[in-house]
Amino acid sequence: MPRHPFIALLLTLGITLNASAAEVVVSDVTSRAVPIHLTGFSGDAKTVLEFDLYVAGFDLVAPAQAQYTVNGKSGAALEGVLADVNNKATLFNRSYPGGSSRAQAHALADDVVQAITGRKGVSRTKLVFKVQKDRISEVYASDFDGANPVQLTADANIVAAPAWRPGRKSLVYTSYRAGNADIYSQDLTTGSRKALVRFSGSNISPAPSPDGSKLAMILSKAGSPDLWVSDAEGGNPRRLTTTAADESSPCWSPDGSTLCVVSRESGFPQLYTVAASGGAMRRLTTAGVRNTTEPDWSPDGKWIAFTRSRGDYFDICIVPAAGGDAKVITEGEDPSWAPNSRTLVFARRTSKFGPRKLSLLDWPTGHVKDIAQVAGSSSQPSWSR
Amino acid sequence: MKPFSKLGSLALVLILSLAAGCKKGQKNYTPLPGYSGTPGASSGLGKGQPILPAARPLTPDGSGANGADVAGVNNPDGPSGQPSREEIEGMLADREQFKANTVYFDYDKSVVKAEGKANLQSVAAYLKAHSDNKVAIEGHCDERGTEEYNRSLGERRALSARDALIGLGIGADRVVTRSFGEDKPAELGHDEAAWGKNRRGEFILLTPPPAGGLR
Repeated sequence: MPRHPFIALLLTLGITLNASAAEVVVSDVTSRAVPIHLTGFSGDAKTVLEFDLYVAGFDLVAPAQAQYTVNGKSGAALEGVLADVNNKATLFNRSYPGGSSRAQAHALADDVVQAITGRKGVSRTKLVFKVQKDRISEVYASDFDGANPVQLTADANIVAAPAWRPGRKSLVYTSYRAGNADIYSQDLTTGSRKALVRFSGSNISPAPSPDGSKLAMILSKAGSPDLWVSDAEGGNPRRLTTTAADESSPCWSPDGSTLCVVSRESGFPQLYTVAASGGAMRRLTTAGVRNTTEPDWSPDGKWIAFTRSRGDYFDICIVPAAGGDAKVITEGEDPSWAPNSRTLVFARRTSKFGPRKLSLLDWPTGHVKDIAQVAGSSSQPSWSR
Repeated sequence: MKPFSKLGSLALVLILSLAAGCKKGQKNYTPLPGYSGTPGASSGLGKGQPILPAARPLTPDGSGANGADVAGVNNPDGPSGQPSREEIEGMLADREQFKANTVYFDYDKSVVKAEGKANLQSVAAYLKAHSDNKVAIEGHCDERGTEEYNRSLGERRALSARDALIGLGIGADRVVTRSFGEDKPAELGHDEAAWGKNRRGEFILLTPPPAGGLR
């Protein structure tokens, strides 16, 4: 239940939850960071809580500025008491036995986010990404803050574009291990792998549909890199774009009805939408920016995040899903939405043309924080939903 | 607002208030997955937890703990008529033969630069003289695009070079394409001198296996 005073007021007045929920989303997106004060935590718990709350849109402040406080105790079981300073009310008092100290702190952070904003926290979600060292790249998974990285491939070859399938138990990605860019799936519980699509030519940029029943991808088998959609396991591929130019980086609308894809049809990269059932490509207006690539559709359906190229630099941008004015948010590339449709993971350069690292962005507040990095150049993150 | 929805929302507010109600001093326990202690009831925290393997030892060939890959879709008869994967994978790759014939591209363009025409003609002439040979074209980009955009652009470049070879009389079923995007630069520098060398299409000669097959 939302505990923001404004929302509480609306609820008390008996305004419908639907109406107030709409208000929340609007005010959420434009609101300033929520000031919060942490006290009593130490070690991992303190580090994790500060990170999680900052990227969830909170500012960690001194007691005098705080609207909320979390008073806790780090120990075998983390304890936390969340209080609303203005209303002098305790919102919860919880203990988190079991698990690692990091896991306990993530659970507390999610509870704080839920209690204050009404949004489900994302502190216990996962990332997959590509890590390149020298000329070799492998797929990795980690916690959303980069902790507990796990190397998922060991082919000593090139991989690209790892993406979660729904359910968080399986991935798809491109690997060159057979000497060609082919699409594979990998089961994360058993470790088994399957080559899904391996036509002659490029089989790249796999994107599972939100319900997992389809796979969008770029195939060059018809003579040009086009958008294709197949069954989940690569069967029955159907060609959706027929331009002579190259398409790239497809993503799905959350209802699975529409794809957003990049095409160079007009001579430079632009975003287009196309119905998953087929039909004409429609240019997506991104007023104010051009050279747009790497779209990702927010899980709530409202936004498309993407990368804008400025030659030597890249920026993370966001545009309404129906098109409109594009907002330039921060320098970086290849954004992927968290399930909360608010936080994004993206790659950015450590220096001009230097290796890439992964960072999180809370776009309503503009909060940006690097996650823990694996040695090498990390890019192409995908956030589990 | 319909009266019903108003009533419903009031009821909902009541229910939510009760559910979320948390009297001062009363402590709730939220055991984490794997906790075997007793205090309090679980709030179902483990629900929807992502499942990941522990760091899983991969087999030496990297195919994963459960061994071999399962075959996937492979249609050799795509409309573009590239040679099938089986055909290509059964041939020997010679990266030296056409080393001097690499063709180059302008920034963000997929048309072979004019000075590459002679190289295309050399490759075509060789293939005409060796009718049992085929060629793989590998397309590459500089680092100034995004990764998957470059992967598609590199493929578009390889396909343009392929179209040129077909235009010079080489059969479509003798030319296969690949793209490495920006992943395999020829030069590591970060200036136009390096980028110009990285925006390229390389030709790899494919020859039939010696009699008795590959070992």
